[in-house]
Amino acid sequence: MIEGLTPKKLLIRIAAGLAVLAAVMCVCALLGTEKISLLKVLDGPGDVAAGNTDYAIFVGVRLPRVVLAALVGAALACCGVVLQAILRNPLADPYILGISSGAGLGVVVAIVCGMNWTFWGVSPISVLAFAGAVATVWLVWFIGHLTGKSQVTSLLLAGVVVNAFFSSVIMFLVSVAASEQLRSTTLWLMGNITEKSPAVLGFGAVSILVGILALFTVAQRLNILTFGPHQAAALGVDPARTRLIVFGLSAFITAVAVSLSGLIGFVGLIVPHGVRLVFGPDHRQLLPLSAIIGATFLVMADTLARTIIAPEQLPVGVVTAMAGGPFFLVLLARYTRKVSWLQ
Amino acid sequence: MSEIIEVDNVTFGYDGRPVLKDLTFQVAAGTFLAISGPNGAGKTTLLNLLCGVLRPDSGSVRIDRVDIHSYSIRELARTIAVVRQEFVPVFEFTVTEVVLMARTPYLSTFGFESATDRELAAKALEITDVARFADRPLSQLSGGERQRVFIARAFAQDTGILLLDEPTSFLDMKHQVGIYDLLKKMQLEQGKTIVTVTHDINLAAQYSDHALLLAGPQAGCRWHIGKTRDIFTPGRIEEVFGVRTFTGRLGREKFFLPLGEYAKDADVLSSAARTDPQD
Repeated sequence: MIEGLTPKKLLIRIAAGLAVLAAVMCVCALLGTEKISLLKVLDGPGDVAAGNTDYAIFVGVRLPRVVLAALVGAALACCGVVLQAILRNPLADPYILGISSGAGLGVVVAIVCGMNWTFWGVSPISVLAFAGAVATVWLVWFIGHLTGKSQVTSLLLAGVVVNAFFSSVIMFLVSVAASEQLRSTTLWLMGNITEKSPAVLGFGAVSILVGILALFTVAQRLNILTFGPHQAAALGVDPARTRLIVFGLSAFITAVAVSLSGLIGFVGLIVPHGVRLVFGPDHRQLLPLSAIIGATFLVMADTLARTIIAPEQLPVGVVTAMAGGPFFLVLLARYTRKVSWLQ
Repeated sequence: MSEIIEVDNVTFGYDGRPVLKDLTFQVAAGTFLAISGPNGAGKTTLLNLLCGVLRPDSGSVRIDRVDIHSYSIRELARTIAVVRQEFVPVFEFTVTEVVLMARTPYLSTFGFESATDRELAAKALEITDVARFADRPLSQLSGGERQRVFIARAFAQDTGILLLDEPTSFLDMKHQVGIYDLLKKMQLEQGKTIVTVTHDINLAAQYSDHALLLAGPQAGCRWHIGKTRDIFTPGRIEEVFGVRTFTGRLGREKFFLPLGEYAKDADVLSSAARTDPQD
């Protein structure tokens, strides 16, 4: 009898991963400019008059930010996993395919036009980010299908071209923008996790988690799809339909993530690779574990970003690439036999 | 015997240039058909029509009396398994994982294999002699070993029909014979219908019941079908492939040895010694 991935095995691994994530989130929420202690936090809110400052900081300030980082990390990592699978290319991620820059363009347009008001807690910035991401996916899909036969390559090419074009439009808008708008825009383009209201956070959490769960229902089909459309069809998987589902869901998830946090590169590219190197390419496992490890990674990166030059803060996108790059090289050297000159 | 595959007046071309024209034949359930012909004759195209990847320009392909395009993709995958020419997947799936994928058309939404699924996969690994690579990634196997993994996957798919595109092209002699023995055994013991595209007419002569010889667009898309013994004749081989062969006879079947101008024994063909066994 051969071993295979069983639901039980997978659940144990997911539970272990979630425990690590919870521990990391807890520790990271305790770190920061203002020193707070876990014991005092555990005392609870205390009576209203005196209050418990440590608890207030932990629950009111740190925790929402850590949760946001975890959500965005999970979202980007999952989108990376599924896009790499349907495009059969390990270089694909929401950033490279232009989905992020489409959302980015939406946000820059909003900021440059001075749309700083909010309506029922929803700012036009998030709405335009979302619209930008969805419009870009449609554009990439449309261009990719115009060019016909080898859809996978043309999708990737279309993504790269759209990404380059939108990036230059963003640069153009930023360079003509008024200087006081410039700093917030630039920060946002480099990836910027800040405190968000519970309502926004709740909306983000529900959409991202539902999106990831929906992606999980096609995870097994993604395994087959990495063998190409003909093999997939011969094994009972509809390649076009699966591709459409995945493309739509990842556009949605990316749009939510980008509207929450700006452009954070690297997570969607690196986390799936790292997880694949260690745990293998089975998407039923790759997807949930990438979500957990992506979340852990971004929580740690964001904590580093807000503590390393405290009280000043770095954009988290700077940290993800600077910390993630070397870490990934170590993984690559450790798990790839071909790289023998590094040992 | 009932016809399980019916190809009816099929015409198919790329960009208006027909590759197959008015092709009509049937495959009876539980028989072994070899499809042969020169390069570019449309063998793989025909295979793609037979598994529903391509749609004929005119005419129809019926499986079990039902048009192939009215099957759902999932139903079709429970009816026909396809082994394509060797290739390396993008990600490092192990042999076991690849063979387990055969069970996809039988899985429920969340897609986890049952004990039965794993048992079938284990059996397929065993009979194709790849069980000892079970935990190795595909990229670390030789071309021939990979080919056997894909054949194992087709067996684990548990279908009545098996389509193969040059299944032995990367294999050494032992494994070439091994694969054909295995296919024949599947046909005889389990009643599977086997359709294989092959360049090896000698193996086809030894193992297949029927042969389809495609002449290709250069030769007006002519085609010949019938009992293998009747189709593979020296004259027809020479005409379709454009090469002269030495034809010998083993026991019941013939064999064909192509000899070019500079072959050491080329003179065998030009001299009176040319053998032309009677059919």
